[in-house]
Amino acid sequence: MIQFPPADPRSVPNHHPALDTLTEYAAGQLRAGFDLVVATHLRGCARCRSEVAALETLGGSLLNTIAPAPLNANALAATLARLDEPAPPPPARNLDQLLAGARRRWIVPGIWVAPIDTPHDPDDRVFLLRVGPGASTAHHRHSGAEMTQVLSGALSDGGIIYQAGDMVELAGDDAHHPKVAGDQPCICLFATQGRLKPTTLAGRIAFALAGV
Amino acid sequence: MPKPSDTGPVEIGQLMSRIAAGDRAAFAALFQLAAPRVKAYLVRLGSSSAAAEELTQDVFLTVWRKADRFDPAKAGVMTWIFVIARNRRIDGLRREASTVTYGTTPPEAADDDAPSAHDQAATTQSEQRVRQAITQLPPDQQAVISLSYWDEAAHAAIAQTLNIPLGTVKSRLRLALMRLRAVMEDL
Ligand SMILES: [Zn+2]
Repeated sequence: MIQFPPADPRSVPNHHPALDTLTEYAAGQLRAGFDLVVATHLRGCARCRSEVAALETLGGSLLNTIAPAPLNANALAATLARLDEPAPPPPARNLDQLLAGARRRWIVPGIWVAPIDTPHDPDDRVFLLRVGPGASTAHHRHSGAEMTQVLSGALSDGGIIYQAGDMVELAGDDAHHPKVAGDQPCICLFATQGRLKPTTLAGRIAFALAGV
Repeated sequence: MPKPSDTGPVEIGQLMSRIAAGDRAAFAALFQLAAPRVKAYLVRLGSSSAAAEELTQDVFLTVWRKADRFDPAKAGVMTWIFVIARNRRIDGLRREASTVTYGTTPPEAADDDAPSAHDQAATTQSEQRVRQAITQLPPDQQAVISLSYWDEAAHAAIAQTLNIPLGTVKSRLRLALMRLRAVMEDL
């Protein structure tokens, strides 16, 4: 069972999703895996929560101006007839429940991954990755974008240190080699569009074992 | 029961308090006003007409059940409905393909700390003010913002639709969002 302490409601980390990404999130357009990573970032970022609230207001305004799509003639009657139905149980969409169901697979000493289902997008990958201090992930390329939310510890990539609460977005054509920074293990939530492509043999073996 | 055409933002707010009190006529009025727009949004995000129809019913059942939790000091009615619709759709997609579900905190379940400084009149006007701000954007930015907000089509498709380079789409979108954000910060 993997658990993370609740974030301080006022905390604001240093690295955030791009405004475009928050807009796609607010509009409901993000792919399933990225949606989860951004949602995880929002839990710990007061700044992005307020951005998203503003973008949702934009969505509400645009909803007022969208060309209406006519409903079936009986839609209102059918809905009124269902008003007294008991409410269905709320869907399990709590991140902790999801993480609790994720199974760890040790790859090499110090490194495990826990893949998370990506419904309706089988080509995408979402996984938790734990890397011990001093270790680094395989040098890799990806065919699509990649998003990483640091859950604990710290990560260094491209000369920047990302702390717990920070989110890193990479475009599809970057090759990179994130490393653990500091003396604590780093746990991250990764989502990629398409499979990762490790650029070294050891990386290819590790990735094959990990199923990412 | 007010006719849908009579229902401006202030009347919508009144509908919500009547719905929270169990008034089915008020619910019907809100449904007629907003349901075709919710369906249009779901269709734009890629749902079939039949699926959008069904999801729209679910959205309004949620509106009925959670009406007492609607807080006009926090969000406009259409914003509240929009977020419910977005979350229902994501839940639906997840249910279709997997038993594992995950996602964002729905607005109706969000924590209730931090009382808002806004009064009710200000927030019921906020969607209107954003709408006004949109109409004041240059036409090229208006086109980009509504296309990119609603259509699941990537920015590349917008570039094609509007016959402009991709970089231009991105910079127009960013400009438009910056301007809107300046307006929304005052809300
Ligand atoms: Zn943030």
